[in-house]
Amino acid sequence: MLLQQLVNGLTLGSVYALIALGYTMVYGIIELINFAHGEIYMLGAYMGIVTFGLLTTLNLMAPDSALTLACMMIAAVLFCGACGITIERLAYRPLRTAPRLSPLISALGVSIFLQNFVMLAQGPRDKGFPELFIQGGIDLPGGRISAIQIFIMTTSVLMMWGLHLLVRRTRIGKAMRATAQDKQMAELVGIDVNRVISVTFLIGSALAAVAGVMVGMYYGLINFYIGYIAGMKAFTAAVLGGIGSIPGAMLGGILLGLIESLGAGYISSEYKDVFAFAILILVLIFRPTGLLGTDTSKRA
Amino acid sequence: MGRGWLRVVCNALALLLLVTTNAYAAGTLKVGVAGPLTGDQGALGQELKNGVTIAVEEWNAKGGLLGRRIEIVWGDDQHDPKQAVAVANKFVNEEVVGVVGHFNSSCSIPASNIYRDGGVVQLTPASTNPRFTERGLWNVFRVCGRDDQQGGAAANFIVKKLKKTKVAVLHDKTTYGQGLADETVKALEKAGIKPVYYGNITQGEKDYRPVLTSIKQTNPEVLFYGGIYPEAILLTKQMRELGMKTAFISGDGVWAKEFVEIAGKAAEGAFITFTPDQTRIKEAQGVIQQHKAKFGTAVGAYTVYSYVAAVLLFEAIAATQSTDGAKIAEHIRKTKWKTALGPIQFDHKGDVLVSPYVVWEVKNGRFVELQ
Repeated sequence: MLLQQLVNGLTLGSVYALIALGYTMVYGIIELINFAHGEIYMLGAYMGIVTFGLLTTLNLMAPDSALTLACMMIAAVLFCGACGITIERLAYRPLRTAPRLSPLISALGVSIFLQNFVMLAQGPRDKGFPELFIQGGIDLPGGRISAIQIFIMTTSVLMMWGLHLLVRRTRIGKAMRATAQDKQMAELVGIDVNRVISVTFLIGSALAAVAGVMVGMYYGLINFYIGYIAGMKAFTAAVLGGIGSIPGAMLGGILLGLIESLGAGYISSEYKDVFAFAILILVLIFRPTGLLGTDTSKRA
Repeated sequence: MGRGWLRVVCNALALLLLVTTNAYAAGTLKVGVAGPLTGDQGALGQELKNGVTIAVEEWNAKGGLLGRRIEIVWGDDQHDPKQAVAVANKFVNEEVVGVVGHFNSSCSIPASNIYRDGGVVQLTPASTNPRFTERGLWNVFRVCGRDDQQGGAAANFIVKKLKKTKVAVLHDKTTYGQGLADETVKALEKAGIKPVYYGNITQGEKDYRPVLTSIKQTNPEVLFYGGIYPEAILLTKQMRELGMKTAFISGDGVWAKEFVEIAGKAAEGAFITFTPDQTRIKEAQGVIQQHKAKFGTAVGAYTVYSYVAAVLLFEAIAATQSTDGAKIAEHIRKTKWKTALGPIQFDHKGDVLVSPYVVWEVKNGRFVELQ
């Protein structure tokens, strides 16, 4: 029982972490809560299904090959990355110097627009996700890890490790850290801040797209509304870990997944969401910057 | 200045729209049709839509009712009781002559009070919760069976056919789901079986693994679920993923082709309590064929029921030559009807006198009636 709930929690948590990274990176650079980020994840899930449909109906690929899944992931990443960059260009960049409330409202607008767009384009009904090649699982004493759970956790960890290397070891990573620290100063020393912001949106959206495809596989059902709930949870995870902190988003996601799973399993599934948000409130009372967050007033 | 003009033009347009629609609708007889027309239970709403549409087209081709064309007023309640009340008020304000709907018991029950106060007859094709007719309202009828009958059938099947004693019970907290689960538990307890697990889930969630893990601890042989197909899809899929071999039994809310299509292998061997195979009722053949020709698909669980509910309403209006709710209701209550579901007669509460429930099994991706 405990082992099983831990596995469930870690799977859920690694997905939350992937989505939370997008919130945290964007906030770190332009101090905006991108409320349309959950919808990007939803678009990723839909793009996965559309790609699968195209490949299999045109008989280009077998429905149960690893290559099909790879194509779905790549298509979702490219599409969502492009969406992320476009949204920033159209909805946030013109408002960059506006009062802070304006881009926030703009983000909410984008979120509502995308939800309704998908509802009209793809229909309001649940769409079944195809059964992909990842089947079976491992029976352990006291629980069972399914192959898909292993896949989700491994992919998430690899993604996060990749992101860590990118931020720490590459030129663009350095530019991102510089921009996060002080936008004006970064510009003065010759960093193309607009490009850095675009890249940030691209990476965040790509991670959300991968999460979308994986969640689709995990649950087997998607609809136009999944971005809202997932976005709320991931945003909570980002705040829990410390908004603006990349390791914080990872930690927050994993913690939130575990809290939900264990709470649902041992106390009551009814109050699952209550636990998550109660923990958030407690953390904010005692550590307003989140678990790993730094005090922004000192940073400036 | 330009702004002011724009406003004037917009208002004029809006006014024009109102005027034209009202002028257009003056010569028609309005019938309200309500259910989850969009959203996650949209498939059920589609059944209602298609069934009523066939009935209305048939009658309009014959020249309508009371010399007027029948017009459908759609009400989308999204299986939300609050929406259902809003829809009901809208129907009463639009002076519909009767309502076919709602689909979910949680919507039919609160809406029925508003219809009663508005003097409108309500025929539900699919709400199976006993409370719908148990409150002594004069205006309510149901064409389908009741959950106490259905729960009894499920319990009987578990005890007599499967010969299992370790049963876990789960429901979705809705009027329908919880009602059905509780009726099943009652019937099981009469047979001396106490469920090893009794719990609930929240509609619209996607991850039921934590609950299923708790259920797995109790080693049940059978899981009975009271609820609708979207959650049943997830439950069966996630059960199999957790390596549970438990038999899955549910009610008519899961008798939807989506359940079999999307759950795929996980749905194999699931049992569903539902009414006997409609394709074998000779009176239903006409509707089934029309549906195939018009929509290109087989009828859903409650398509024919929706058709019958609409036709009963029209026939009662035609027979009484009146749009008065009380007269229509009285006529429906006292008549022995010949319908597409075979002969139907209502008791004083508004329930059908005979409603046999049988058990279906999912075999090779299809629902098959067990003999």
